[in-house]
Amino acid sequence: MTTQPMIAFREVHKYYGDYHALRGITAEIRPGEFFSLLGPSGCGKTTLLRTIAGFEDISSGAVLIDGRDMAGVPANKRPTNMVFQSYAIFPHLSVAQNVGFGLRRDTRSKGEKAKLVEEALEMVGLKGYGARAAHALSGGQRQRVALARALILKPKVLLLDEPLSALDRKIREQMQVELIKLQREVGITFVLVTHDQEEALVMSDRIAVMFEGEIAQLADPETLYRRPNSRRVADFIGVMNFLPATVTGERGDTITAEVAGLGALEVARSQVSLAPAGDQAAVGFRPETLTLLYEGQQAGDREAQGVIDEVVYYGDMTYYDVRLDGMERPVRISMRNVFGRPVLDVGTRTRVAWSPGALVLFR
Amino acid sequence: MKFPPLKIYALAYLLFLYAPILLLPLFAFNDGTIIAFPLKGFTTGWFAKMAENDTLRHALSNSLIIALTSSAGATILAVFAARASTRYRFRAKGSIMGLIMLPMVLPDILMGMSLLLVMLEVLRVNLSIGTVILGHVIISLPYAIAVLQTAFATLDQSLEEAAVDLGETRIGTFRLIVLPLVMPGIISAFLISFTISLDEFIVAFFLAGNQPTLPTYIFSQLRFPSSIPVIMALGTCLVAASIVLLSVAEFFRRRGLKRTGAKDTGGFL
Repeated sequence: MTTQPMIAFREVHKYYGDYHALRGITAEIRPGEFFSLLGPSGCGKTTLLRTIAGFEDISSGAVLIDGRDMAGVPANKRPTNMVFQSYAIFPHLSVAQNVGFGLRRDTRSKGEKAKLVEEALEMVGLKGYGARAAHALSGGQRQRVALARALILKPKVLLLDEPLSALDRKIREQMQVELIKLQREVGITFVLVTHDQEEALVMSDRIAVMFEGEIAQLADPETLYRRPNSRRVADFIGVMNFLPATVTGERGDTITAEVAGLGALEVARSQVSLAPAGDQAAVGFRPETLTLLYEGQQAGDREAQGVIDEVVYYGDMTYYDVRLDGMERPVRISMRNVFGRPVLDVGTRTRVAWSPGALVLFR
Repeated sequence: MKFPPLKIYALAYLLFLYAPILLLPLFAFNDGTIIAFPLKGFTTGWFAKMAENDTLRHALSNSLIIALTSSAGATILAVFAARASTRYRFRAKGSIMGLIMLPMVLPDILMGMSLLLVMLEVLRVNLSIGTVILGHVIISLPYAIAVLQTAFATLDQSLEEAAVDLGETRIGTFRLIVLPLVMPGIISAFLISFTISLDEFIVAFFLAGNQPTLPTYIFSQLRFPSSIPVIMALGTCLVAASIVLLSVAEFFRRRGLKRTGAKDTGGFL
């Protein structure tokens, strides 16, 4: 793609006194993209978001929005709007006054503004709520008011700072879907900050995983999940089994590794990611890439044997911790509970099928 | 009640607290110059006499002018100080705030003496109600700041950021968002400063020169037994005014809570 990025970070550094909060962030966010900044608390994701909004000055580097350097541009002059974690609904104003707040400096007539407010409320499913007092709304409704208020100005970029973290699980999942739909509808670039990897995977076109002020990996959700570029990213996103491995040979694009319990494995170079320096090499499996074999079922590529150590039943899924023969620690395997498939008991001896194509070698 | 002694104690406490105040209207309407039982008869004459008293009217208007201006001044200064201390970090903030709050615990007589010295010897100004206003701003400022600090501290900072994000300037944000939300605090700070100033004696006594204020006038009249019933009538008016003022303040406080949906954490009444 040769289009100009909507947001570009160039070697962005941020210091709070001696604390180095952002350590040379360089990344680009494409126009119309749903982009997520994902990481544990304190990784700098919110700080980075606030540098886009103009609430944080950067110590060095540059932040560009739609090709324009934002240095010296105050927050109220930037083409961005934000949905705050606390929603920041003005409690002394009505819903309509909240939503229309950004239009105060607009030259349009009162009637036109009122129409815009009504449209914005309708867009977020709050038609007819305009006259209500903002403080009397539920959490989900506040969220919608905050969205309408931010979108009414038709910003180039909508910034969302952990907008769903205060909501109940059910409403949160509902809002995730609504946000995706809304983003497609308005076509505005969304930048979401979240610590919830599931939320990021569900909603984003691309995700930047951050640790300690740096972007560890920037990729689409599937790549991030299937080919994490480091053990740390793999650990942060979903569950991954790590088995100690010894690299025994390299030939062209193929690497041979020896894993206790699985034997010698041949993996392509594209399946190799980073392990922390000094650490032993390991192979990683997602729980769903392994399968328990029931009686009479044929193995896939490879097969191993083991004993079920622990069973965790989730309704739609069951997690089994299986201790494979010749392995010290059990591996976690997830199985979908399809109709007619029994949940196995602890202590059952079982066969496990797996495929070398699904693994990642960390070295 | 399961434990009568505590109930009796509580009643005795309330009686001790309010019975003296109840004596004020009792003798204000009593047709006799001597403050003693038995009561003689009912009269409103003392109130009429009070209204005719020019010095008293002068003292009252002085006191009201001093209280209104000094509490307005203290409240405005307190808004800046409270805002600065809750929002910004600056050098020596702790010591600066400590020094501003110090008059709260400093004996008023020290304030009175040192201010008198400054006015007469350093600034060389004539004593007037202006000097009393200055003194009262200094002594009521810490109370106003204490009230406003709570109001500013409970204000979510992202509200201001949201307003700026939506295109408002810093000043516009302060006017449209911050000010309305801390308004109950501003009213409380004003009322506290007002009452502190209105009944303040020592600083007014030192700094007023030959101008009477209500407390200094009342004190000067206590020497004359014949004018005591008039003072009683004045006291009765002050009690009535206090009740009205507190009720109005409470009404606005509750309305403010209702409008912003905040939890009631207790007020005056």
